[in-house]
Amino acid sequence: MSLTDRIAQGLAAGWKVTDATTLTTDQTHEADVVVIGTGAGGGTTAEILARAGLSVILVEEGRLYYQKDFRMDELTAYAALYQEGMSRVTRDGAIAILQGRCVGGSTTVNWTSSFRTPDATLNHWADRFGLDDLRPEAMTPWFAGREQRHNIAPWATDPNVNNDILRQGCEQLGYSWAVIPRNVKGCWNLGYCGVGCPTNAKQGALTTTIPGALDHEARLFHGLRAERLVMRQDRVDHLIASALAADGVTPSGVSVTLRARHFVVAASAIGSPGLLLRSDIPDPYQRLGKRTFLHPVNGTVAQMPQQTDPYYGAPQSIYSDHFNFSSGVAGPVGFKLEVPPLHPAMAAGIVPGYGEDQRDTLGKLPWLQSVIALLRDGFHEDSPGGTVSLRDDGSPVLDYPLTDYLWEGLRRAFRTMAEIQFAAGAERVRLIHLDSPWFRSWKEARGAIDALPMKPHRVRLFTAHQMGGCGMGADPRESVVNSFGEHHQVTNLSLHDASIFPTSIGANPQLSVYGLAARNSTRLAARLRS
Amino acid sequence: MAELPARSDRLSTMDRRSFLRTGVGGTLFLGTVGITANLSGCAGKPAGRYEAATGISSDYRFGFLTHDDILLFGALLPAIIGPGLPQQAADRQQAILGTIERIDAGILQFGPANQKELRRLFDLLNFGLTRVTVARVWPDWASVSPAQAGAFLDRWRSSRIGLLNNGYIALTKLSNVAFYGHPAQWHLSGYPGPPAWATQALPQFQNAS
Repeated sequence: MSLTDRIAQGLAAGWKVTDATTLTTDQTHEADVVVIGTGAGGGTTAEILARAGLSVILVEEGRLYYQKDFRMDELTAYAALYQEGMSRVTRDGAIAILQGRCVGGSTTVNWTSSFRTPDATLNHWADRFGLDDLRPEAMTPWFAGREQRHNIAPWATDPNVNNDILRQGCEQLGYSWAVIPRNVKGCWNLGYCGVGCPTNAKQGALTTTIPGALDHEARLFHGLRAERLVMRQDRVDHLIASALAADGVTPSGVSVTLRARHFVVAASAIGSPGLLLRSDIPDPYQRLGKRTFLHPVNGTVAQMPQQTDPYYGAPQSIYSDHFNFSSGVAGPVGFKLEVPPLHPAMAAGIVPGYGEDQRDTLGKLPWLQSVIALLRDGFHEDSPGGTVSLRDDGSPVLDYPLTDYLWEGLRRAFRTMAEIQFAAGAERVRLIHLDSPWFRSWKEARGAIDALPMKPHRVRLFTAHQMGGCGMGADPRESVVNSFGEHHQVTNLSLHDASIFPTSIGANPQLSVYGLAARNSTRLAARLRS
Repeated sequence: MAELPARSDRLSTMDRRSFLRTGVGGTLFLGTVGITANLSGCAGKPAGRYEAATGISSDYRFGFLTHDDILLFGALLPAIIGPGLPQQAADRQQAILGTIERIDAGILQFGPANQKELRRLFDLLNFGLTRVTVARVWPDWASVSPAQAGAFLDRWRSSRIGLLNNGYIALTKLSNVAFYGHPAQWHLSGYPGPPAWATQALPQFQNAS
């Protein structure tokens, strides 16, 4: 059981942490490396570089929240810890985007599921994008190292009922399933990972690599938004950043200039392309902001005869890859099956009803169970992904069009999820879809699912994983960075986050980011020290 | 189509009616002293401190929702979360106002881009021509019954126009999350809250000594 709070201890011991919302005068700072973003990529990078003796400045637009702020409360957490107060969506509003905005990034609010990049994905990257040095054998030591750093191991405690229903249904139907590895240490099995781990058990960037970097003299500014990288000739000269006001949203008017020898951007698949677009970073083949992937999620809700208490217990502990790679990379889209936790605000937000219908459904929460499907987008030519562009005010927005290829997969996923829930004994099942009634049997569901409209808004879609936009590749004509995250055209610019993935991963992406960032930061440290 | 009454006529009609109206299945959120503010030209501004004609008030200062927006949600909430509201009139009013306050607080964290989108949606719903032609709501929101509000929501939900589906989702999601997510309403979903054994053991829940 972990009650030691590293952040409180570190701050008391004199960590160089500045809350930019308290700044009153414009200022300039300098370091060997400026790292933009403190999530999976930024944290890993900052720690490795700082331990190598380089001076590091970390820039985070979100605020520093830690144990004292994590009160297992949805409404305050969604407003404070998530991008746009949990209102972020794709341009047409069809896909709800769950993404972190705080020190630790999305790793502070994720559900701790940790998977190595699947072999099939790494091999596809090598075959299709010339990334031969990222094949499984080459990446294995990097994943092993990060699994140690983040205490990643298959969850050894019994799954909660919510997750066990997925297991039972798969068992009944002969679908393969397995236990999810989680990045936790001394977990209390509470289930509040999504609103900030209240016990410090979650080993995300906030409790591991950020403290590690700060222990080695790195400097962190939070409440500071990266506006523009300014180039001088063919190199990035400095970053202009805006301090935010106390509300954490509005610029205060104070400007901070950060100079460095090297700049590592790790601001997410939406933030990183946004920053590079605002900065007019050379983009001769217009690759920036293209090929953004989401693992689009659809889901079903079941009412079980037994009490499920889907708000308690480790939120994700069972998964099925049975349908993920079965058609290879060129066939119909694959999907991974998982289970989401259901707390009241989240449940009220995803079930798209109102009035009596909504009250009745939510009134059954202690007996509800949900399965979600994460589509493995980006592997097939009919899944070209989305595009990040800039609004008039310079903020990034993602446009993600759903193709027939993906709609077909979503319909297939609906069928599979309902089938699994009925096989596990569900009394009734409804799709998270505007037109779905409750189905009383698999036979009833199967027929109806084939006729339901697969259209934006009618199918409720979500994404918790944002990838791509600054894709890796050997050929600069179709990529932004090389396999080391080094920008093809700008020599002192790197990307160390999920934006470099040339396709989606086909698994929850945090360990993929940790592994690549560790590999690429190790090389960068060697480069900068020589 | 009949001509819309002049703005000041409409408002004074609403003022009179609202004093008498109780509504179907519970109370409508009644018209407010904010009407004076509208007449003086504050219609487009966040409502600041808000007091309903029933006297229900709180210290909350609205930072995004205008007086018109508050009336809009006052009309929609009985349809969206009505079945979960307390029976007693004063408690109903309190729950409605509290939910609208939480909706406002949530929107303040949405950032400028989505706030702009919501402002467009609310203006479309509030102002005469589009309220009638797009939302097909003829009386002003303060006069709309829960049944009429439900019919409007159903129209947008089933519409072939994606923009209207999006509007339906935005309105219901804002309302449902603010209502069912609040501790005062956890009993409706049977959610017991964070486990007591955990809050008793964790430092952030202990009072400072």
